[in-house]
Amino acid sequence: MGSQLEDLKTAIRQALPDLDVVIAWAAGPDGLAHTPLFITSESDVDLVQWDPRCSQNLAGYLPGLRGKKVGIVAKGCDARSITELLQEKLIDREQLTVFGLHCQGALDPEKIAAMADCGRYVRSAEINGGELKIVSSKGACAISLENGLLAKCFRCTGADAQPCDQFIGEHGAPPVLKDAPATTLDRLEAMSMEERFQFWEEQMGQCIRCYACRSACPLCVCQDHCAAQSREPHWVDQTDHPREKLMFQAMHALHTAGRCTECGECERACPVGLPIMTMKQALNRQIKALFDYEAGLDSEKTPPLFQFRENEEHIKERKW
Amino acid sequence: MNIGVFVCHCGSNIAGTVDTVAVAKAALAYPEVVFATDTMYACSEPGQAGIIEAVQKYELDGVVVASCTPRMHEATFRRTVERAGLNRYMFEMANIREHVSWIGKDKDANTNKAAELVHIAVEKLRRNTELTAGEFTINKRVMVIGGGVAGIQAALDCADGGLEVVLVEREPSIGGKMSKLDKTFPTVDCSSCILGPRMVDIAQNPNITLYTLSEVESVDGFVGNFDVKVRRKAAYVDWTLCTGCGECAAKCPSKKTPDRFNEFIGKTTAINIPFPQAIPKKASINAAACLMLTKGKCGACVKACPAGAIQFKQEDEIVTEQVGAVIVATGYDLFDFTQYGEYGGGRYPDVITSMQYERLLSASGPTEGHIKRPSDGKEPKDIVFIQCVGSRDKSIGRPYCSGFCCMYTAKQTILTKDHLPESQSYVFYMDIRSPGKGYDEFIRRAMEEYGARYIRGRVSAIQPKNGRYLIKGVNTLMGDQVEIEADLVVLAVGAEAAKGAPQLAEKLRISYDTYGFYMEGHPKLKPVETNTAGIYLAGSCQGPKDIPSSVAQGGAAASKVLGLFSKDKLASDPQVSSVSLQRCIGCAKCQSVCPFGAIEMTQFRGMTKASVIATVCQGCGNCTSACPQGAIQLSHFTDNQILAEVHALCPY
Ligand SMILES: Cc1cc2nc3c(=O)[nH]c(=O)nc-3n(C[C@H](O)[C@H](O)[C@H](O)COP(=O)(O)OP(=O)(O)OC[C@H]3O[C@@H](n4cnc5c(N)ncnc54)[C@H](O)[C@@H]3O)c2cc1C
Ligand code: SF4
Ligand code: SF4
Ligand code: SF4
Ligand code: SF4
Repeated sequence: MGSQLEDLKTAIRQALPDLDVVIAWAAGPDGLAHTPLFITSESDVDLVQWDPRCSQNLAGYLPGLRGKKVGIVAKGCDARSITELLQEKLIDREQLTVFGLHCQGALDPEKIAAMADCGRYVRSAEINGGELKIVSSKGACAISLENGLLAKCFRCTGADAQPCDQFIGEHGAPPVLKDAPATTLDRLEAMSMEERFQFWEEQMGQCIRCYACRSACPLCVCQDHCAAQSREPHWVDQTDHPREKLMFQAMHALHTAGRCTECGECERACPVGLPIMTMKQALNRQIKALFDYEAGLDSEKTPPLFQFRENEEHIKERKW
Repeated sequence: MNIGVFVCHCGSNIAGTVDTVAVAKAALAYPEVVFATDTMYACSEPGQAGIIEAVQKYELDGVVVASCTPRMHEATFRRTVERAGLNRYMFEMANIREHVSWIGKDKDANTNKAAELVHIAVEKLRRNTELTAGEFTINKRVMVIGGGVAGIQAALDCADGGLEVVLVEREPSIGGKMSKLDKTFPTVDCSSCILGPRMVDIAQNPNITLYTLSEVESVDGFVGNFDVKVRRKAAYVDWTLCTGCGECAAKCPSKKTPDRFNEFIGKTTAINIPFPQAIPKKASINAAACLMLTKGKCGACVKACPAGAIQFKQEDEIVTEQVGAVIVATGYDLFDFTQYGEYGGGRYPDVITSMQYERLLSASGPTEGHIKRPSDGKEPKDIVFIQCVGSRDKSIGRPYCSGFCCMYTAKQTILTKDHLPESQSYVFYMDIRSPGKGYDEFIRRAMEEYGARYIRGRVSAIQPKNGRYLIKGVNTLMGDQVEIEADLVVLAVGAEAAKGAPQLAEKLRISYDTYGFYMEGHPKLKPVETNTAGIYLAGSCQGPKDIPSSVAQGGAAASKVLGLFSKDKLASDPQVSSVSLQRCIGCAKCQSVCPFGAIEMTQFRGMTKASVIATVCQGCGNCTSACPQGAIQLSHFTDNQILAEVHALCPY
């Protein structure tokens, strides 16, 4: 992976004079996850990291940087968010330079922290072969990378970033992984309506309404103007009740219906670990069935809910 | 706010299954309701007087009437509250008839539901604001799209009413289907003789601008102020010079060009004037058939034309017309029968369509009015007519009746007998539909005086047999099989929407049904209006229609336009969307879903913001559901009003 990282750095260095900023990853404080890096000068480039700890989807920063010439490093799944933003004309293709990577899976920091049995306070971690070696307050341990991957990596449909201006490394197929974990959606579908309701009531009871999920979502472009915090219109109130929290989540899900690329940032950001992407997945299934459409795959297509048609191809309103 | 509630009995329509007194009593418990009563007929004169009296006596600021559908009487009661001195939008209606009393028998349940609907209306009314309509000026020109008999009538009536008219027709000549017909039922008078003078009137009327060989490219704007771009297709002839002498066609060597006007029976030349009475009487070149345009050599017409009008380099031209109203009269097209295997699927030369038969009957047609078989030019003796080909057949997606085929088939049997007294006509039919004035008598004449043999039943197969055709079918009245040998088979092909009708509808932002026929504003009360203000319908673009009905609609649409233009300014509906600048993040999602193009993206202090063109907005509310954070709100239907209604219904 070393040479891919060096190639990436070279490519960024070469492109930097024409760009205002390049968004990449740098080492995080504990070594379990890398954090975003905003490169504006050549010396920043040395900090760039590329390995399975680059879990964060950086596309969410793009709408806020509109108007600037931005470079961004993207994994295959991150690029779907970029495509979706392009489809919605929330960013401009000419202003954007995508450094595309072939990804072999990204780690889930939550999962790793839970698996590491050498204490809570991680001092450092490094990747060596197929393992993540962790040194903590209480000693050292190692975790197999494959066991620590994000759930979405098990369903990866394209590991190569697309769109892409500069591809770094070799093109390749998604990682071949066995034993995909059962999704929450699968579990929910086996439940009765009452059980599902109870499930969400419990989950929502734990939500602390920090809005981290919304802030992490690359497609939640309203951010400070979110309807969840408005009185005009007054869709949700501030009562600390699962009902209002569910309403907020339902809003997030509906606002991302047919747009959500299932990047998982909302779930990754949630401090309580709530399976909130499930709602979006459920809606995406409906969108797929109704419109034969999946988000973020074709920058020329208009998302189905952002157009007006007299008749939908796949929806037969009249039976005759 | 002081709210008054009036619960209508509608005679026994509502009171029969709803306890209106109890509903009024329940209403008194809702917030800000200071007065509630039941009333016999709220819409009657004493009913309305009662409302006005209560408004004054109890100093009401808003009124709820619980009665029938707002479609019926919303306008009535808005005027009532206005007469009482209130703003007309300080009024809400609860539909306790169509939504309650007419659909449920359980009086207790009905009474509860009615009370809840009143509660919802009260909660909405509490959040209503006074709205006032704006005004805007209108352009009193009208565009008519389609120059068939309906469009011609509409254009002439508008022009006679003093309006400037732009008539757009996509074929080289106006006249539509009627110009192809020989004679017309039920009077059997010559089609060209009655239509021809009307067509000449179009050409001569100084108020009418005629664009033929033209189609609508795009439509912008709104009632009173449409900008329509029209594509004038290249005719390769300068029509300001062409005198219509026809010398060019006489010399054109490309003589095997398919003849569209004659329904592809017979051939024509690459340059031609489609028929002698064409308006405008100008030549045009069929580019696909022209040797000069396809192979780069010929130019016979250039030499022949005494006016020097031929222009091979001519290109399409786009003209923009500003009009205040549009009448759509694009007519119909004919069903393609080749999808029916039982009629030979187009393989038999002597199985022809009814419109082709009209051309054979017509004195100006390819056979000069002699009925001859296309295969060998012989006069037929036995002729079979098959009705309902592509009509009333669910299996091919055409469940509707084309309306005029029974009548024109009878006409064609009569004309056949006139042309060939020795001939025998047979008609296979499903039912005879002849409900017009003099129509049934006409059918009877075909049967009784002209000896047409009517057989009730369908044809299952047509097979060639010794140069003739064997037609196999059933006679459902006799309950037996029939076989008839015939020389010629005429299929009464059904009507379908004109080619490109849905695409045109989308440009005009009007609705169409599953078959592509345009939707009228109301099936009974608004037959020539559409749901888009300023756009009207005439003729068979709305559904199959015979000539008298098409002409009547042409006149009706013209009178609607004249009525619209009788005012200098129009009032704009204040129930439109508007954008909160603070909340809008400029994502343009509203713009992408607005079916009416009513949203512009504008710059405000360096930020992109949406802005609604109030006169274009139709108040559909699409944008409000697309806007993620509710920055765009529809007045009179704000999110908060809808939420208040929901909370009234689902309290927690
Ligand atoms: C075989 C046959 C015989 C008939 N005989 C009789 C009869 O005897 N008596 C009777 O009452 N009725 C008869 N009819 C019915 C008659 O043809 C119709 O009632 C009549 O033609 C309807 O007129 P219209 O103007 O609505 O439509 P059309 O005649 O179809 O005219 C529509 C016009 O609009 C033009 N157009 C279409 N789309 C566009 C576009 N996008 N842009 C610009 N222009 C466009 C077309 O080119 C056409 O000129 C017969 C029909 C058939 C098929
Ligand atoms: S809703 Fe969650 S999974 Fe979907 S795009 Fe937003 S952050 Fe990613
Ligand atoms: S991140 Fe988790 S806790 Fe925070 S608002 Fe979202 S679901 Fe609730
Ligand atoms: S309500 Fe919104 S979507 Fe509907 S016409 Fe008005 S601006 Fe367009
Ligand atoms: S959808 Fe809402 S936020 Fe987006 S541009 Fe329209 S009004 Fe503004």
